[in-house]
Amino acid sequence: MVASGAANSETFKVTTPSDTEIHFTRLFSAPRHLVFEAMSKPEHIRRWWGNLGDGYSVPVCEVDLRVGGKWRFVNRHPKGDAEFYGVYKEINPPGRIVFTEIYAPFPDAESVVTATLTEENGKTRLNATSTYPSKMVRDMVLSTGMEKGAATSYDRLDELAMELAKRS
Amino acid sequence: MVKFYAADLDATFAALADPTRRAILARLASGECSVTELAEPFDMSLPAVSKHLRVLERAGLIARGRTAQWRPCRIDAGPLKRVAEWTEDFRRIWETRFDNLELYLQQLQAKEKTHGGKRRSK
Repeated sequence: MVASGAANSETFKVTTPSDTEIHFTRLFSAPRHLVFEAMSKPEHIRRWWGNLGDGYSVPVCEVDLRVGGKWRFVNRHPKGDAEFYGVYKEINPPGRIVFTEIYAPFPDAESVVTATLTEENGKTRLNATSTYPSKMVRDMVLSTGMEKGAATSYDRLDELAMELAKRS
Repeated sequence: MVKFYAADLDATFAALADPTRRAILARLASGECSVTELAEPFDMSLPAVSKHLRVLERAGLIARGRTAQWRPCRIDAGPLKRVAEWTEDFRRIWETRFDNLELYLQQLQAKEKTHGGKRRSK
């Protein structure tokens, strides 16, 4: 699935409430329980998470949806696999979920994600806050371009790093 | 899988946050050179360039020759490559996370409607 021209794209906003946090918000044209399900059931997650079309898949999608339960997703892409995992801290369907998230190659850079879903004029608003272990890690996640046009001091680094990665 | 810790990540990013150091790396990406050669385009004193090189060396981004008297600097692509991979993996997840979810929710709802309609028509 390639996301282009999706509804409500313009409602996506990224802010930085503190030095170590990123806050996201977005509206979805679907009832709250459906958004919660799509975010927490493997058969749904496989269909949208990290999936950019041909050559992309989610070969591992494990969800133990209970407090203390683990989750693990692997995103297969043309250059390899990217593994993310974490633990569910709070689960209150369909309004709130809190979990930790780790990108496997950086195991001590754990972030805590607090996501809430609220009904808003027949749509569902997602508010999510990710808290990172340091400002550096937070800034790095910001630098990945999740917010298009976000000006960060790392833009050029990124170009350079990509160039080097191609060469070696 | 190679593990890379947040402390290393901080050192790498602190080193890369400076535009002069990024320019030094860009120069080294085309081949090893001496401190004098590196200093030329920047209009900086040799001690100032050396200071930047020490930061880059501590972050593991460059290595310096020990034998030759001119101690050539060369780039170590390892940490940069890991940072690039992280950046790419995160970008892919973030790009898809929200718009893809929206599109998928539309598909889910369309399916529910179709199935519901069939059931009612029987």
